[in-house]
This record gives sequence, structure tokens and C-alpha cells, in this order.
Amino acid sequence: MSTEMITLETPRRLRFEIFRFNPEDPSSEPHHQTFELDEQPFMTLYIALNRIREEQDPSLQFDFACRSAICGSCGMLVNGRPRLACNTLTRDLGETIRLEPLPVFKLIGDLSVDTGTWFRGMAEQVGGWIEEKAPFQAHAEEERMDADLAQAIYEGERCIECGCCIAGCGVANVNPDFVGAAGLNRIARFMRDPRDARSEDDWFEVVSDENGVFGCIGLMGCHDVCPKELPLLEQYAYLRRKMLGAAREEERT
Amino acid sequence: MSAAPAEIDRPVSPPTPTPRRARREARVDGAQRRREARRQLRYELISGGSGVALALFMWGHMALVGSILTGARGFDALAGGLEEVYIAQPTVLAITALFLIHAAMASRKIPAQIREHRKLRAVTEPLRVESARSPGHLESSLWVWQVWTGMILLVLGSFHLVLVGFDVFTDTFGVRTGIEAASTQARVSEGLWIVYALLLLCVEFHASTGLYRFAVKWGIGSRLGRPALRRIEHVLLYGFLGLGFLTLAVLAKWIEPPLAFLLGATV
Ligand code: SF4
Ligand code: SF4
Ligand code: FES
Repeated sequence: MSTEMITLETPRRLRFEIFRFNPEDPSSEPHHQTFELDEQPFMTLYIALNRIREEQDPSLQFDFACRSAICGSCGMLVNGRPRLACNTLTRDLGETIRLEPLPVFKLIGDLSVDTGTWFRGMAEQVGGWIEEKAPFQAHAEEERMDADLAQAIYEGERCIECGCCIAGCGVANVNPDFVGAAGLNRIARFMRDPRDARSEDDWFEVVSDENGVFGCIGLMGCHDVCPKELPLLEQYAYLRRKMLGAAREEERT
Repeated sequence: MSAAPAEIDRPVSPPTPTPRRARREARVDGAQRRREARRQLRYELISGGSGVALALFMWGHMALVGSILTGARGFDALAGGLEEVYIAQPTVLAITALFLIHAAMASRKIPAQIREHRKLRAVTEPLRVESARSPGHLESSLWVWQVWTGMILLVLGSFHLVLVGFDVFTDTFGVRTGIEAASTQARVSEGLWIVYALLLLCVEFHASTGLYRFAVKWGIGSRLGRPALRRIEHVLLYGFLGLGFLTLAVLAKWIEPPLAFLLGATV
């Protein structure tokens, strides 16, 4: 790491091939535009894009807020793979870097997409909120929770809704109602939560149809692409096992 | 399940339900959805379960056919024994049934999956360039190979089952009813070895990959992690491939049975 400053005497000249299209402008045609930039030490795509916008083309559209992989707004296809621009270092990439907006989501312009509408729709579809067992008592002592369980819930809660797993999923690309890995993760998170009133039986039809866990063909693109490294694979297996349990339960009664 | 509680509505929320929600509400009634969900679950279980059963059977099968490594006598004794006590005959029928069920169930999603796969490839084609850094892509190519080997297995496997069916139930190919080393070795060495070599490759790949994917899907051994599961899969794959080709070499009469000394006699 420390040698980097020294070895970068002659910085690489990076070529950015950036997708340009403004759906609002009838004369705009989708195309790739090339920008060149000298690499600087520890340069992220976030830095690079901001420099391009400041120095070369102020009309370039892309989203950022936190620049620390927390807000989930900077997801884009980097050489075809969904990534967060703010935590992708240019030194990990070749000299030519292709940037495109995430598929599946509505394009706002250039690299900027609307993930919010998709995620809201998903949340409504899966019921991605707590349904409390008893009304919340602000001053009462909280019920204790097993540390492992708390950790498992927290793992699911870490999703930043960046949409990388959705863009990288073949099923989500063809079926707009598929809840995707983020949706399955959300379901698993609330299903685990002992404060939630819903039983496995209540979840059954949300989870088990072709828009849920059985729509997924298990190629694990989502798991490998998630920039927050959520245990999507485990969530997915957890749901399958739970649904099997729920079906057995129903058979017995 | 109830609708979104009003208090979580953000000021930017759309005034009308999202299209997705409207579609959800317009969808068939609860009971029907529940039936559909149960059907999906059943399909998954049958295709996965039959696959695992077939894979396990293939290992047992390998042990039986492997008896040729001790020479024709060992092979004949084992086959004859299993036929005498009527284990071989029902097994052939049961495996044929399982084979067909598995093929029907597992192929059910293939057209849709191919469409999804194409679409994804079109969107993220350059992923291939970067494949070294994206193991996710490896999983997708595994899946494509599952489809290909599955289709080859359907053809060659049926052929083999018919052949063995004739062996077990008729005396068409041998001197008596039943599987015999002599007639098997004769036909394998005369050219069928090509078919069997291909069949062997496909079976071992399809079975070990299928088991790996089954484990991943249901979270079996998830504590070990995927890399460990893959290593196990590789050991199984190469182990059985090695054993398989050794057996095939004996059946094709390229080499002498290496374990003939166990029975203390020549072939
Ligand atoms: S699960 Fe991962 S990839 Fe998917 S939206 Fe959440 S943080 Fe992003
Ligand atoms: S495993 Fe594959 S099909 Fe399933 S949600 Fe993830 S990317 Fe989509
Ligand atoms: S800018 Fe917030 S996640 Fe990248």
C-alpha cells in the first residue's frame, strides 16, 4: 500500500467509456462517450466521475451521497458487473473502464437510475416492515434477545438497497415482480424477528411463489455481487427450509 | 397481510399504489396462490430429491460395475447374485422411473431459465471478461453445463437403461437372462466404449454438480462455506471419474482386471 505513492510516478491514463442517454430529451440517443483522465493514488470511481463532471462535462448525470458505501445510491455496471462506484478503486480495474447504469431500474439519465420506486414496490409486495405483536411501549424494558439471533437479524438489516443484486439477477431482469435477493433478504429478516406477529404460514404464499424463493434459480449472482457482502445465500436457504417446514405443518393439521 | 402502514409513508411516496402493488392486488385470490405456492414447493422437492437419489444410486452402481476390476468371475457372481434374489430387476425399473421423473421435473423450468440467462448475458456480457473476479459467473456456467449434460444424459441414459433392461429381463445379448461380463465386455470393446465414456463424463459431472447445487440451495453444510463444498464436489467428481475410467478400460478389455488377485485366479 505505502509503495503506491512512489510507484505511481507516471500515472496511468484511464479511458472511461460512459453510457449517455437522457430520456427527457427527445433528441438524445443512447451511446457511449469516452473521457480520459490521469489516475491518481487511491482513486475511486466516485472521485473519477466527479473530476470528469467538474473538468470535462457538467451535464454528466450520476448519483452519490455518502461516498462510503452506506447510502446505496451509486450502484452502476462497471465493466458489466454491478458495483458501488464509491468503493471501487480504479487501480483494481484496467485502463479502459466501461460504466453503464444498472439495468432493471428506471433510467433517470446517464448513470443515474431510480432504485427507490422498485424497492418501495418490493417492500409493499413482501410486507417488509414489522407487524408488532403488542403496541410499542417506549418506556418498558425491551425483551431480551439471543445474541446470535440479534446478529442474524442485523446481517439482514445491513442491506443498503443499492440494487446491485437485482441488476445482476437474471430472473429480476425478466420478471418485474420478482422480489430478488434484496426482497428475499428482507423477508428472512422479518421472519426471524420474534417481535413480528406474522407466522411462517402467513409468509408462505409471499415467499413460495414464482416471484419469491422458487422463482430464483440459484445461480448466486446476487450473493457474489453484493457490495455489503450480505449472507444472501444463507438467507435464501433459510427461507427454503422454513417454507418446507410450513408446508409440512399445514399437511399435519 | 395488511397494507403498508400510513406512518411509514415518506413525503415522496407516490399517491397511487405502485404498479407492482396493483398487480399484486389484482392477482388471484389467496387460496389459489397458496395452491400455486405448494405446487412450486412440491416441484422443487421432487426434482431435487429424485436428483439426490439418482446421484447416490450412481455411486452404488459404480461400486457394482467396479466389481469387473476383480475379473469377470467377480462381476458375474455379483450380478447373478443380485438377480437371483430379485434386487436387480426392480432396481432397473425403479431407477428408470426415477430417471424419467427427474428429467420431467428438472427440465420444467429450462425454457424460462434459458430466457433469463440470455437476457442477463445480454445485459452484463462483459462479465465474462472479468470472470476471474466474479465467481458468481462460475455458478451460472455450472448451470448451463447442467442443462447440457442433462440433455445428453436423457438420450444416452435412456439407451443404456434399455440395453440393461434387455440384459436383465431377456437373453437377447448373452447366453442366459441377466447381466454377463462376457457380453458386456464384448459390446463395450467393440465400440460402445465411446458412448460409455461420454455417459460417464456426463453422469459424474451432472451428479456432483447437482449435489453441490442442492447443498447450496438448501443450506446443507453452509457452515463449511462454498469453497469447501466445491472442494468436496471436486474430490467426488475426480474420484469417481478415475474409478469410472479404470472400470471402463477393463470393460473395453484394454487392460487386465487389476484386482484379479483378490479372487486368486486368472480371468
Ligand atoms: S442485498 Fe446487497 S446488493 Fe442487494 S440491495 Fe442490499 S446491499 Fe445491495
Ligand atoms: S440466486 Fe440468482 S436467481 Fe436467485 S436471486 Fe440471486 S441472482 Fe437472482
Ligand atoms: S455514494 Fe453512498 S453508497 Fe456509494
